[in-house]
Amino acid sequence: MAAWLSLSLILIPWLGALLVWRTGDAAPTRQHALAVAFSLAAGVAALVLVPLASPLVVFTLPMGAFFGELTLVSDGLSTVLAAIACMVGALAVIFSVDYMRGETQLGRYYTFVLLFIGAMCGLVLSGSLLFLFFFWEITALCSYALISFYNDDPRAVAGGVKALIITQVGGIGLLAGALAVFASTGSYQIADLLAKAPQIAPGLMSVVAFGFLAAAAAKSAQFPFHTWLPDAMEAPTPVSALIHAATMVNAGVYLLARFYPAFAPIPGWTFAVMLVGLASALITAFMALTAMDLKRALAYSTVSQLGYMVYAIGAGGVFASQFHLLSHAVFKALLFLAAGAVIHGVGTRDMRQMGGLGARMPLVRVVFVIGALALAGLPFFNGFWSKELILEEGLKHTPWWAYGGMLLGAGLTAFYTLRMTWMVFFGAARSERHAHDAGMAMKVALVALAAGTLLTWLAVGGFSGLMEESLPYHQIHALGLPGLVEEILLAPATYGALGVMALGLALGWLLRGRAGVSPPALVEGLSRTSFGFDWLNGHTARGVHHLAALLQKTQTGQMNWNLFGIMAALAAVLLVLWWSAP
Amino acid sequence: MSIASLTLLIGVLLGASPLVYLLGRLAVRLGWGMWLARGLALLAALAAWAPFVALWQQFAPTGTRSLFFLGNLWMQVDALSLLLAGMTLTLGTLVILFSGAYMAGETGEEKYYAMLLAMMGLIIGLGSAGDLFNLWVWFEAMAVSSYLLVAFYREQPASLEAGMKYLTQSAVGSVLALLGIAVVLGQTGSLDLDQVLAVARTAENQMPLLAAGALFLVGFGVKAALVPLHTWLPDAHSQAPSGISAMLSGVVIQAGLVAMLRALAALAGQAVTWGALLLFFGALNMLLGNLLALRQTQVKRMLAFSSLSHMGYILLGFGAAWWSGSAAGAQGAMFHLFTHMLMKGLAFLSVGALMFALFHHAVQQRPLVGDDLNGAAARYPMAALALSVSLLALAGLPPLAGFMSKWQIFVAGFQTGDGMVMGLVVFAAFNSVLSLGYYAPLVNRLYRRTPSVAVGAGGGIPWTMQVPLVILTLAVFVLGLFPAIFSG
Repeated sequence: MAAWLSLSLILIPWLGALLVWRTGDAAPTRQHALAVAFSLAAGVAALVLVPLASPLVVFTLPMGAFFGELTLVSDGLSTVLAAIACMVGALAVIFSVDYMRGETQLGRYYTFVLLFIGAMCGLVLSGSLLFLFFFWEITALCSYALISFYNDDPRAVAGGVKALIITQVGGIGLLAGALAVFASTGSYQIADLLAKAPQIAPGLMSVVAFGFLAAAAAKSAQFPFHTWLPDAMEAPTPVSALIHAATMVNAGVYLLARFYPAFAPIPGWTFAVMLVGLASALITAFMALTAMDLKRALAYSTVSQLGYMVYAIGAGGVFASQFHLLSHAVFKALLFLAAGAVIHGVGTRDMRQMGGLGARMPLVRVVFVIGALALAGLPFFNGFWSKELILEEGLKHTPWWAYGGMLLGAGLTAFYTLRMTWMVFFGAARSERHAHDAGMAMKVALVALAAGTLLTWLAVGGFSGLMEESLPYHQIHALGLPGLVEEILLAPATYGALGVMALGLALGWLLRGRAGVSPPALVEGLSRTSFGFDWLNGHTARGVHHLAALLQKTQTGQMNWNLFGIMAALAAVLLVLWWSAP
Repeated sequence: MSIASLTLLIGVLLGASPLVYLLGRLAVRLGWGMWLARGLALLAALAAWAPFVALWQQFAPTGTRSLFFLGNLWMQVDALSLLLAGMTLTLGTLVILFSGAYMAGETGEEKYYAMLLAMMGLIIGLGSAGDLFNLWVWFEAMAVSSYLLVAFYREQPASLEAGMKYLTQSAVGSVLALLGIAVVLGQTGSLDLDQVLAVARTAENQMPLLAAGALFLVGFGVKAALVPLHTWLPDAHSQAPSGISAMLSGVVIQAGLVAMLRALAALAGQAVTWGALLLFFGALNMLLGNLLALRQTQVKRMLAFSSLSHMGYILLGFGAAWWSGSAAGAQGAMFHLFTHMLMKGLAFLSVGALMFALFHHAVQQRPLVGDDLNGAAARYPMAALALSVSLLALAGLPPLAGFMSKWQIFVAGFQTGDGMVMGLVVFAAFNSVLSLGYYAPLVNRLYRRTPSVAVGAGGGIPWTMQVPLVILTLAVFVLGLFPAIFSG
């Protein structure tokens, strides 16, 4: 049963992709219907699979000598993430029925969205490192194709290539790690790696651990790879919600959580993970303070919240990170889709041209506020519980300055969330644009996610219980709902954190009138260049092109030089041989 | 009987070549249809599959090398010669089918098919040569047949220039290789690959044999397009008819590599040395090929430079095998030889199909540039899909064949446990990422909404050109999903 369900999570969306593609763009209604049907079917299958979680391999397919076996493992970690991918995927597809209505090349859009959902399920369910990498790459390809969906727009093309190259550069860490593990243990199986980790040479293991950290940071847009996610906002908004907020960017966090038991003993690894999380959370929270583009503001906030999850893993709180991952996936998908409804209605992403939209789209305002309150971490939305749990872990297991930094980040989050919500929905309208309300399909998706934002934290007992039972190496202890409530509400630190958030909100309220004013040059410059890292990316790319241009000069196309090249190579080879001969 | 099958395999191709020419000339003189010559060429290529399959069935169960005399030629059949024969037949058959419409009405069409068949037969012979001198003769004969194909559009100055460069540089390479053979004969008194190996192991003065190895490396390396011996390749690949570009990139430069490996293997006393040099040239090929491909606006030139970088991956596999003495690297490299033939063949054929449609004719009035392909997918869904699949496979994205073969080379590299080889694998992985910088935007262009002027005014693509694209696209998927087909 679990075998078929696991396999179907990959194959149902892929079959849907194939059918949508073959349907052709002449029949858009059928394309919408097929996409919704197949993504919903995957969502149902994923929900049925969750309670069946176990640490066992449920499916095996031998692939030949160098490729090991393709295995699927549906344990607590993978089934919950697959369920998030399929459910948010289904809602994003439903939302797209309104959002993408009348677009050309709808087939390409849905094909890649469905391909992505299947690949994401494959990524988390894979029990083999090779196939983890395999699906990892397919998600990157889908992300690229969808960021560049509006490919007549050079910014969309550039954003797509940037995302692809940066995540792939980090992906080399995963590749090298997987190869090193196979070369030393003769197995690609993740379970084997976790079991044999103490016997593997520490030097090799630290290459693997830090390689995986690089891959995770690139995929989750963490410091110093945080530059690609804001530029990925050229994608259609449902894609931003699905891939660049709720699922693919979580793959990095998933990777760290999955291998935590093997890597935690490596000296410096947890500290490095914590630093990456801290730096990402703070840098992008700062950038979100002055952002004027609604989607970019949400993207900064995504990097920042992923920073909290990474920090949690650095602090040893694997469950806390996954719990926040669940909350964040739901409330950030909600925020992105609500933002999509706004952008679709107003026709711009610039918050300076919005304002007072609540009057014309009341339902969107209600759900956006719910999402915003969860993001800010106010009780008793899902974001509150998971963020407080992370801060608890941080207080216990990380240095005071790191904890202080994350606390500051929570205050900044409250500030920019209020600013963003105010600029879009409240105050006076700042432009003459005519806004139209969201369509029916959009509203269905929004209401479902809003309900999730209010309720998912109630699943804490089931989620942690599943992880305790099905993850033999992680030593996770189940945390029931009463336990969670007690731990959070009785801890004095909770009230300290709430105080910082209140301070952020108060400041945001006081400064709401200045929200549209351009920030000082220094702040603006830091934000625009992602604290200098965008500048670094640009110069690296230009440097490569410059080197290529230099090399091109050596290709004269003149026969004299060509023949000189041959003879010079012969002379060089002879010299080397003569010089190195015994 | 191995010998009968091999003779038949080479004989069918070489024998059909003059017949096709004759039939074609008669067609020109007497006004018969050229389809007779085309049909015979295709028939010959298809007929050659029968002895190939027989040869395969004799070899596969035991996997041992068989040696025998053909007249007074030493021939051998092993995994490498079967691989090269399989590659040549696969791509050759598809190219002949593809060329039917592509080359229709060209002056000298009959020569095209005759030369193509001859080249296929000669490559298969080269792969099975058992002694150094015959290896060289097969090699040289193959080169002669390919010169004429590269310079096929003889009215065009650019095509002639490419042909001249190719001819001159190949000739220099051949002379160097011949010199190497002379040195080996002088030192060991033999040209038989096995005897040379036996003598070379015990030779007291290794320096002349090392020099012979250098001559082989550089001499055959011109054809295998090692950087900096590659300078003929971009011109030749981009100026030749697209079917020939596919053959050059998918089979001919690999034949050069096979010749080089055969010759160097005879001197295997210094395997580690040759391994190190192959690794070095592999790194050069990857870097230069990728960086220069990044700068190209002409699609066929870009693909030509990408062939350099893929030769780099292949060299990495063979180099790692020789450097560390493990067979895994060579197996990976052989897998990549095969998948590269599929991928690059598909890339050149789909570009050829698009050129045919966009320019209404096969002759290049001007080179095809990236901008011409904007929005091509709307009108040419199959060709655009085929080109996209080939480019993504070349970039090494799963689940396509290129991912699996590169992975196998990378695994072999890490299994050596050697720091330098592992560093090179990471370097190769960086190169794969770099290659996305030119493959991905090209794929993107194909699916733009606003079509280019050329696409708007383009004609159709006949089914004989679509069929090879479909077959190769499927093959790229199937080998990616079931790599065991190849290694099994």
